Amino acid sequence: MKIKENLIDKIDYWLILPIIGLVIFGLLSLKSSTSENVLASGNFNKQVVFIIISLIIFLIFAFVPSRLFRLFSIPLYVISVLSLVFVMIFGKTVSGAKSWIDFGFIGFQPAELSKLAYVLFMSFWLSKKNVDINQPKYLAITTILSIIPIFLILAEPDLGTVIIYSILFIGYLFWAGISIFGLFVIISPPLILFISFFGSFAMMIGLILIIIALFYFRKDVFVSLSIFISNITGILLFEFAIKLLRPHQQQRILTFLNPAADPLGSGYNALQAQIAIGSGGFFGRGFMEGTQTQMRFIPEQWTDFIFSVIGEEFGFLGSIIVIILFAIIFFRLLILAQKLKNRFESFVTLGVLLTLFFHFLINIGMNIGLAPIIGIPLPFISYGGTAFLTYSAMMGIIISFYRTNSEHV
Amino acid sequence: MNNHSNLQQSRILFWIISVTITIFSFQLIRLQLIDYEIYHKKSTNNSIKIIPIPASRGVLFDRNFKVVVGNKPVYQVTVIPAFFDTTNFQKIEKIVEIDSLAQLLVGKAKFTYSRYKPIILSKELEFEEVNRLIEYQNEIPGLNISIKFIRDYGYGVNGSHIFGYLNEISSAQLKINTNYEAGDEYGASGIEKSYEKYLHGQEGKKFAVVDSKQRFIKFLTENEFDVPAIKGNDLVLTIDKQSQIAAEKMMEGKKGSVVALNPKTGEIIALVSSPSFDLKSISALNKKEWREIVNHLEKPLFNRATMSIYPPGSSIKPIEALAAYNEGYITEDSRFNCSGGITYGNHFFGCDHIHGSVDLLRSIEKSCNTYYYEVFLKMGYPTWLKYFKMFGFGRKTNVDILEESSGILPDSNYYNRYLGKRKWNTGMLLSLSIGQGELAVTPIQMAQYVALIANNGKTIQPHFVKGIIDSKSNKYNELIFPEIKIDVDQQKLNVIKKGMELVVNGAGTATNIRSDLVKIAGKTGTAQNPHGKNHAIFVSFAPTENPEIVVVVLVENVGYGSTHAAPIAKKVIDTFLRLKE
Repeated sequence: MKIKENLIDKIDYWLILPIIGLVIFGLLSLKSSTSENVLASGNFNKQVVFIIISLIIFLIFAFVPSRLFRLFSIPLYVISVLSLVFVMIFGKTVSGAKSWIDFGFIGFQPAELSKLAYVLFMSFWLSKKNVDINQPKYLAITTILSIIPIFLILAEPDLGTVIIYSILFIGYLFWAGISIFGLFVIISPPLILFISFFGSFAMMIGLILIIIALFYFRKDVFVSLSIFISNITGILLFEFAIKLLRPHQQQRILTFLNPAADPLGSGYNALQAQIAIGSGGFFGRGFMEGTQTQMRFIPEQWTDFIFSVIGEEFGFLGSIIVIILFAIIFFRLLILAQKLKNRFESFVTLGVLLTLFFHFLINIGMNIGLAPIIGIPLPFISYGGTAFLTYSAMMGIIISFYRTNSEHV
Repeated sequence: MNNHSNLQQSRILFWIISVTITIFSFQLIRLQLIDYEIYHKKSTNNSIKIIPIPASRGVLFDRNFKVVVGNKPVYQVTVIPAFFDTTNFQKIEKIVEIDSLAQLLVGKAKFTYSRYKPIILSKELEFEEVNRLIEYQNEIPGLNISIKFIRDYGYGVNGSHIFGYLNEISSAQLKINTNYEAGDEYGASGIEKSYEKYLHGQEGKKFAVVDSKQRFIKFLTENEFDVPAIKGNDLVLTIDKQSQIAAEKMMEGKKGSVVALNPKTGEIIALVSSPSFDLKSISALNKKEWREIVNHLEKPLFNRATMSIYPPGSSIKPIEALAAYNEGYITEDSRFNCSGGITYGNHFFGCDHIHGSVDLLRSIEKSCNTYYYEVFLKMGYPTWLKYFKMFGFGRKTNVDILEESSGILPDSNYYNRYLGKRKWNTGMLLSLSIGQGELAVTPIQMAQYVALIANNGKTIQPHFVKGIIDSKSNKYNELIFPEIKIDVDQQKLNVIKKGMELVVNGAGTATNIRSDLVKIAGKTGTAQNPHGKNHAIFVSFAPTENPEIVVVVLVENVGYGSTHAAPIAKKVIDTFLRLKE
């Protein structure tokens, strides 16, 4: 392995330049959506401070020897699980979810940082030489290690992060080379659970489909039967667990699963966001010119609906530039993930790619009316310190990998 | 580990990303290019705007359900500079007066980034004033007339220190209190402050269809989403409006305070701190005027009745007599000879007259200092301290407004600190026995002390609010306040009360207010004031046999209690008992 001496070559511009572009779009939209708002007018300055802190973290991570991340992956995972337990007990409730640790002067969301810890830990675990994901033993361990943080975040409840975790989990199995049958074993219980929310008829259909699939895989009777039974017990266990929760917690989870029940709440936001984006036209209405944004039709637009500010004020041109910038980042990360020879590094890069991509997918999807309303921020653009810090740290790690392997990629 | 090249997985991911980006791009093309006209029209013609429905604060009633502080609707005229054509100013000016500064601001703001922020042209207008402007509202783009409720103080009572004033909520408070909106008012003193959470009304919401220039088109028909405004809870005060007005009138042009309360219930009947201020005009003060009123020499914002501390003078002699009597240091017939004062150490402690041989009743009636010097020396400082503590001096009465001081009850720690340990003795503190020296009390503490005497050793914590009328259920809930009790012999207390009765009805110091209609008991006092004329004090209760009212009057810098303070107390008593002269 050869380390390049020239500093310029140590940084991957295919990643850094698009991110700088996104940050600029983010700051402009934040400025525009908060400057006339009494309660949020300080958010711009706060975000600038967050970005500066994140830049420092980024630089530290980028110049740390890449093998260190592997060493830190176990303690980080333990700390992140502990902090999720801590937030469950002592956390502060913000808009329905108990997800903040409040230090008085500053608050942070452990669930954001724990994404990074999970990515590092899973990469560490799956890149171990003896771990073969197609052996039931290893598949079970991997599942348990993933389900611990997922359950803790579900208890907050923070559905958006739970979805991201689930995607990361499945993505990791996929990257580790799981067979289609293995994937089916993992995916079928949550899938049937989700389907059962649409009534018992839908659940019946789902179960029949599972039986058909089991026949297709032609495994022996014992294996097929135990998978089928585990699916049914999964549903029953979940129903039972929900009954154990207090009524307001039940309500929270059910509202999360069916956001359409609140039409003038999140449904209203989605409609107004679409109007904002559509009315932007090709060139947009101009910076601080968007009436939807300036008249505050969309509450807290600077968090999950910030893309609608870009759509309205910078138009199709601005929106498509943002999407292209994201696309460059995604493809670059994909190339890195595939070409990095170190398994650990390849897994981490994949984790970062999946995290960023599914945030992008869900967030922009809901802004343009293609995805349900799930509270999830847009990386590098939405207002929020912990998220920005997490993504910067992730990018720092990627740059560190790039630096140590740059002659290969 | 080269067997893991992940080529196949990479290909699948590549397609997932590519397809997503393509779909997103097509959706953006559809929204922003193909359907642009539709959305643009929606944005310009068909926007939903939340229209706040104002909620009034709770009304304040007096004890007889007469309104003392109410609400009235006022209208506010605002414009959004971005949509507003400044030539329309002429049209508006014909109807209402416009702040010329605001006019200038609108002109300037039209070309800045804050041009969507509404600017207030004129506020607190009556309906008649804006009536014709309302017709214009849809003709002039950017013009908006909104209604809100403000406090109406036009009920003949000043009550500035009781009711308190309101401030606009600060952004710091706004962050903590989620049921407030920017621009809401927030109690800043008095009852408005201490009962804020009951009085605050919660703004409601209605959803309206407006065009892009914010012109109203129609209300959304699905009014199931409307949030109704919740009016604040009304408070029934213990104040008697008539007595309060009478007391305020009597204190006009004077400095000082009046506290009247019911000794049985602790209900405050009237409370005046003079000079007072005008609640109506205080909300309209600018910064400079506000500074002026805050720094005014006579401190009109300061509630003297609960915050000012004075030496109580002779008015507390009954406590001292009770202390010595109840602890067995003296009997009713114990006599001391008054030859115009006593000499203790190198000091001469004077009395106003040469009273000769004085017993307990005469000592109160005539307010003989010599008697109390002797009694104090006999029972000692610890007994004195015990009884003054018992009567609540040196700590807040916890009256239900937050502006209160605890006064000073000098205990032995206090003297150890100021005079040094073991460097003082009872004799050095002799002036405490006539209510001078280091003792300092608030008028409301004095009222509580008199209430304890008048109502035979028990009363209830003084308070202004009798009950709360819940605005949702319309139910009246009475508030309960803690009882205060002292343990003294009833027979002995009756002797003290008799002495106070003689002050007015015998040959005492306040015979000038003797009345055939009601028997008043009282005690005069003169608080020494090193900075000018003495303060006149009169404490009283009536009727003597079954007291219904305690009145404490303190007038600053006028001289003797009987001449200046007692007539005010009598007036309040007469008014409360509805007696005609």
